[in-house]
Amino acid sequence: MSATYALTDSVTMLRRNLVRFRRYPAMSTMIILIPIILMLMFDFFFGGALKGAIGGDAALGGKYVNYLVPGLILMIPAYMIVSVAVSVCSDMTKGIVKRFRTMQVSPSSILFGHVIGAMIQAMLSVTALIAVALLIGFRPTAGVVEWCAAAGLFAMTVFAFVWLAAGFGLAAKTPESASNMPFPIMMLPYLGSGLVPTEGMPAGVRQFAQYQPFSPIAETLRGLLMGTAIGNNGVIAIAWCVGIGVIGYVWSTTTFRRKTTA
Amino acid sequence: MSTLTYAATDSATMLRRNLRHMRRYPSMTVMLIGMPVVFLLLFVYVFGGTLGSGLGEAAGGRSAYVNYVVPGIMLMALAATAQGTAISVAMDMTEGIIARFRTMAITRSSVLTGHVFGAVIQSMLCVAVSVAVGFLVGFRPDATAIEWLAVVGMVVLTAFALTWLTVAMGLVSKSVETASNTPMFLMLLPFFGSAFVPTDSMPTGLRWFAEYQPFTPITETLRGLLMGTSIGNSAALAIGWCIVIAGLGYLWARKLYARDPSN
Repeated sequence: MSATYALTDSVTMLRRNLVRFRRYPAMSTMIILIPIILMLMFDFFFGGALKGAIGGDAALGGKYVNYLVPGLILMIPAYMIVSVAVSVCSDMTKGIVKRFRTMQVSPSSILFGHVIGAMIQAMLSVTALIAVALLIGFRPTAGVVEWCAAAGLFAMTVFAFVWLAAGFGLAAKTPESASNMPFPIMMLPYLGSGLVPTEGMPAGVRQFAQYQPFSPIAETLRGLLMGTAIGNNGVIAIAWCVGIGVIGYVWSTTTFRRKTTA
Repeated sequence: MSTLTYAATDSATMLRRNLRHMRRYPSMTVMLIGMPVVFLLLFVYVFGGTLGSGLGEAAGGRSAYVNYVVPGIMLMALAATAQGTAISVAMDMTEGIIARFRTMAITRSSVLTGHVFGAVIQSMLCVAVSVAVGFLVGFRPDATAIEWLAVVGMVVLTAFALTWLTVAMGLVSKSVETASNTPMFLMLLPFFGSAFVPTDSMPTGLRWFAEYQPFTPITETLRGLLMGTSIGNSAALAIGWCIVIAGLGYLWARKLYARDPSN
């Protein structure tokens, strides 16, 4: 029965988060708009100059937007980290969690509500991004299976990074510091193969770019959507997601337990 | 003592207050300095090779791209600092200190001029750090002493103009959060101009916008002074834009500040 209670409580907390998104749409709007603005900027303003970088790949049809979109999809979990960290930290500092603790609420449901809410938000955001991308000339070659695999990998990535974000939010003392702490992770999609191929980078940066988590995920998404070679990136991407997800989950739950039982 | 002397003394006091604020709460200054530096490193090391080779004549490799991008980064530093000004003005307006100042024998305009001059000093610091990092990553300007002075003049003029505009934005904002978002377009304008890539590589409609927006002639003037590229009529346009922006910003800020605070 406790599993049923936990599930019911998680649904209630999810509903609370969705109501909050609707009532305070600023952060949600930013998460939807930032990747779209970046896409328009990189494609229209820098696209002419960057097109030469991907010229050789026939799968991309010589269009920079086809290279760009799979990488930009990963901006969503990167920016999501900040909003989740801030909202978790706000809950912790404003005393609402203490109120929940006095009620018969499954402790894990508070975090699960944030995580699932963020995943729904991310799915809306990626849908909006792809819709705009299709309008400006993005032409994926993926079949139904590839689309499902891409959606699965995206969901997995969001799930992993949102748990990490919850950890940041719980570790932070104030919402301001919660918004600054994940900054290095927010920069990672820029420092990988998401926006430009790593070949054009100097040795040290290239090495970092190739081995950081967002690059294999971007390459896998690009392979699934555009038919470029995936190689062993799929396995590495899943391994990164599992690793980050486990670390984030353990960090979040232990910090939450420590902070709420103290 | 004349009214003008009082105004100058009060402005100096307010400037000192702002400088002390920067020293006591350095996180904002660090953020404002950090942002252009992060973008400089990002565009040089991550996109530089690709953009450099993609731009042919205009750049041709990372080393030449550094020289191309630094003037744009300088402008970005100015836009970032201006955004910080909007936030600090909004904080003053919402936290009640202005209401206190209004009850004292202080020249009304001095509060705003203190913010403006403080922000101009902060802008110079931001630009200096950005250029210093530029030197570290391979920026090699061929400007003479006179041209460097002209660059400093252009930077001060731009900072002055943008600051008056963002002071007004800070005054018009109902909250600090709004004040931090309102000047966001200033941060985006360098991207939508010739700061990072030449306008020739853009599609027609966007190229037209990029060529005629205020930041492009300013960027081209700075680039011309530092790197010896042709300036043409960009300098006149840049100065014209700065005067117009400063004038509009000043009039708007003065009008907003003169309002009855109870309204």
